Amino acid sequence: MTYFLTQLANGLSYGLILGLIAVGFVIVFTSTGVLNFAHGSVLLTGAYLVAILHDPIGFWPAVVVGILGAALLGVLINAVLVRNLAEPNPGTAAILMLGVDILLLTELTRRIGNRVLPIGAPWGADVIAIGGVTLPTSRAIAAGVAVVVFALLWYLFARTDTGVAMRAAAADGDTASLMGIRLSRTGATGWALAGALAAIAGVLLASFPAPGVAPTLAISAFAAIPAWVLGGFDSVVGAIVGGLIIGVVTALAVGYEAELHVLGRGLGEVVPYAVMIIVLLVRPSGLFGRKEAVRV
Amino acid sequence: MSDLLRRLPAIVGLVVALALPLLFNDFWLQTGLFAMAAVVGAIGLTLLVGVAGQLSLGHAFFAALGAYTYAWTVGEVGDRAAGLGLPAVLGIVLAGVVAAAAGALFSPISGRLRGIYLGLATVGLVFLARHLMVNLEAYTGGFNGRTVEPFSVPGFSFSNSDPDFLAVAGVEFGGLHRLWYLFLVVVLLAAWLGRNVKASRTGRALANVRDSEAAAAAMGIRVARAKATAFVISSAYAGVAGALMALAYGRIAPDLFGLQLSIDFLVMIVLGGLGSIAGAAAGAVFVVTLPLVLAQYSSELPFLATPGSGGLDAATLARLLYGAAILAVLLFLRGGLAGAARRLRHRRPPRDTGEPPPVAAPTAPTATPEPSLSHPSVPTRSKETTP
Amino acid sequence: MKHPTRTALALAGCVTVLAACSTEDPNASGGGGGADGDVRTGSGVTDDTITVGILTDLSGPFSATASTQAAVMQAYWQQANADGGVCGRTVEVDVQDHGYDPQRAVSLYRSMAPEVAAFQQILGSPINAAVNPLALEDDLYVGGVGWASVSLDFPNVQVPGTTYSVEAANAIDYLVDEQGLAEGDKVGVVYFVGDYGSDSLAGARHAAEDHGLEIVPQEITPRDTDLSAQASALQQEGVSAVILAAAPAQVASLAGVLGAQGTDVPIIGHAPEWTGSLLETPAGPTLLDNFYLVSSSAPYSADVPGAQQAVEGYRAADPDGAESWEVPLAWGEAILLRTALENACEAGDLTPGGIVAGMQETTDLDTDGLFAGTLDYGEPGEPPTRTVYLSRPDDTLPGGMRLETTLEGPNAQSYSFD
Repeated sequence: MTYFLTQLANGLSYGLILGLIAVGFVIVFTSTGVLNFAHGSVLLTGAYLVAILHDPIGFWPAVVVGILGAALLGVLINAVLVRNLAEPNPGTAAILMLGVDILLLTELTRRIGNRVLPIGAPWGADVIAIGGVTLPTSRAIAAGVAVVVFALLWYLFARTDTGVAMRAAAADGDTASLMGIRLSRTGATGWALAGALAAIAGVLLASFPAPGVAPTLAISAFAAIPAWVLGGFDSVVGAIVGGLIIGVVTALAVGYEAELHVLGRGLGEVVPYAVMIIVLLVRPSGLFGRKEAVRV
Repeated sequence: MSDLLRRLPAIVGLVVALALPLLFNDFWLQTGLFAMAAVVGAIGLTLLVGVAGQLSLGHAFFAALGAYTYAWTVGEVGDRAAGLGLPAVLGIVLAGVVAAAAGALFSPISGRLRGIYLGLATVGLVFLARHLMVNLEAYTGGFNGRTVEPFSVPGFSFSNSDPDFLAVAGVEFGGLHRLWYLFLVVVLLAAWLGRNVKASRTGRALANVRDSEAAAAAMGIRVARAKATAFVISSAYAGVAGALMALAYGRIAPDLFGLQLSIDFLVMIVLGGLGSIAGAAAGAVFVVTLPLVLAQYSSELPFLATPGSGGLDAATLARLLYGAAILAVLLFLRGGLAGAARRLRHRRPPRDTGEPPPVAAPTAPTATPEPSLSHPSVPTRSKETTP
Repeated sequence: MKHPTRTALALAGCVTVLAACSTEDPNASGGGGGADGDVRTGSGVTDDTITVGILTDLSGPFSATASTQAAVMQAYWQQANADGGVCGRTVEVDVQDHGYDPQRAVSLYRSMAPEVAAFQQILGSPINAAVNPLALEDDLYVGGVGWASVSLDFPNVQVPGTTYSVEAANAIDYLVDEQGLAEGDKVGVVYFVGDYGSDSLAGARHAAEDHGLEIVPQEITPRDTDLSAQASALQQEGVSAVILAAAPAQVASLAGVLGAQGTDVPIIGHAPEWTGSLLETPAGPTLLDNFYLVSSSAPYSADVPGAQQAVEGYRAADPDGAESWEVPLAWGEAILLRTALENACEAGDLTPGGIVAGMQETTDLDTDGLFAGTLDYGEPGEPPTRTVYLSRPDDTLPGGMRLETTLEGPNAQSYSFD
């Protein structure tokens, strides 16, 4: 039982980080209609900034720079590239982001080389043990950070003018535009938010038990895609719940691999996608996706 | 006579394609084979994305299915990984059929989701495929993969043997040369079928679904069925492309069919111009050859650092240029490569005033309605899903 | 006739082509390659040069390790040329980048194969899977491939030392002999699926069976950098040791969590997962206490003449180069190819096939400690040795690894490669 609870705790804390990444996908998608294939490299950029700056300027200032840097990168990608597409539609935008991803990842890989850059987080390599259930301290902190960030997001979307404008723009861009909401501004806000969330997730993912910042960190953003899809493509709440589901299912599949070996080895990699496909078979628009009926 | 003039580019293109093996060395032949395999897959995907407005990132799955189906059907009985020992032609046909069947099995999802939503859902297939390829060792050879029997018809093998020596116009025709013509035939067939699909009732129904599902349904088109059909056709193309890839490699392994392959297919058709068969072909050639050409020439630039020194080396520069090329096409070429070519042609005065304006692709056997350029082929931010 | 011109054109084409067809090989009896003095030569060899190829990943995920290896090999050949070259010829190195894309690799192989005498290195598992069969068909020497058993299927491929499976079998023997593991104990194996990790697992299984140990396998992917779940599972199973066949990121993560949760057991890894910077991560203390490395090639700071020469030679060419396991390995691989070339030269056959034969004639090679044991390539399908090095982390040495001893356990000897 304690073993199950340990794996559950592992899964939940990892799932909350996945949720941070997935929410970034959702916000970019609802505010500008872009499937952000470069989300992983934005995440890596934020974490890289923290890794190289924590020594000279200290960890917390480095985190602030990392978050602002990633947010700025997102805003720039949107303003310079996405808004200047010759043919703006989700297909071309997605491929555009692939191009951006190639550029960013190539340059970061060249800078990092085969080093693993320590992230310099003040929480060390301890584990918390409560009644036999163990969880790395850094993961417990990560879970706490994620919850606080989600609460701030809720406040933003529910209580501030900016948030309400973003929700209106996401619900119906044309109408929102007619009501005087500037879509360029909500789009920029969306990209900035997503970049900031990615940087936070990057720092959390690169701290203990992970060794630090390496180019493979960029791929971890892909792990959030099933979370995003199964939550429903346009729902922030769905992305968080999706992240939790994927995190827990992955941890349990890994933890009980010996018992599940009839399904083949390496379940951790395939299980998130299997869950995603099963959910889509039952609910094509995901758990929390809006289902707009078409009357004919 | 005017008819001939109009088709002159197609004929010239075909003659050049037929003659290239006489000029190319092995490097370009091999690259050409990969490019032609990619062309087949890209045509299939452009029918799905460009014509039907559906997106798929799962085409690596169907390509893998086709590749392994071919290797398994044609493979020797009792080899390390099992095989049926059937004729190679049947292998290629089955590659398409099995992939299409798998596409049909996916129809509960492919018929209900649209556009980019479907694209993300299909990502799962790629990981499923990898899991199966690694774990079904008896058929796939596991992680290390399995060998692929060369294509052959009775009395003639598309490899370096049987006949052991064959020369045309003084050039020795080895396996790569022979495969070139096989691939060319498949590519022409795929393009011809693709044009017909586009122009057929099904194709027009699909375009209607792309433009508005509600309107299409009002006209009596069964939307879910149309979307599933497009997915099945596209899967069959990917299966055949996979079989061609298997032939071009000679040995297949799970790593050849990763998410990157799906993404590459998508890059090809978007760069080429969505919905255009010729564009898909151009995009495939662009994506397959550009990194090679860049790598070739960037290593001759003087200012670059040596590999391993941490400076900007030739390989890194080539990769950066590739990324920049993608951005440039998307930012500056409306309608992709095909759109740019079309505009170039339109700028010149038409040669035959009595003729209808030239069609998009020079190889067109019949004039087909153009996909509307102004309309984004993938629905823009529509949340419309049919229950 | 609706299109008379076209039909005529097509007919004419057919006739021309048919007239030009032939199935008689004019060179059938001659065979390629002219004779130069006493030495027969083939592709990539002229009167005064031998061209060898390096087909590697300079822009993809393994660019860091790959470019270091390429630089070391180039440094070796630069020095060898300064000392008079091989067989009276200078050795030129043609480096090409496949970016970890198998299609590019196969195309590049096609362009390089007619121009090189041998491949000093072809790097990357999917690349090797695609290209090695082609090289076998062309009878071309391939080196620098890593230690996966699958390479032994190719008689033209030279494995630099023994295989991961034999390394893992040695590791288990060591655990039983020196670390007091006994029948009924459990050993966790955390591995990448593929030709590397799965090979290590196979060797561990073989030895564990002999000793009555139980293997607890945990499969991971390079993407998994948080191994908390795996570490908890291993702790739950109560393992007495862990064998890890992965990359540095996984070493840091697994060792970190195991150390933090108090699972104080030996962790044994393979050469590709070590980098000195691991000692600076939070896992550093645990690694210093519990980590062991089994490897075929000597670590960077090994106190053996072969490794010292490698380090000096590479430093002379690139004073700022990496201080890592790639240096002795790549230097040693260049020596392996040089030996094959010299054997081929002596036999008067510098054709690609002659170089492969020269490699197989390398039956008693002492590398001054660069590789563990003496190397015997006389028996294709068998590794050249079954001896491995055992090293321990040491934060006072460049590269962070201190060579302890050599191992060759009974199960390393009995492991079979069928």
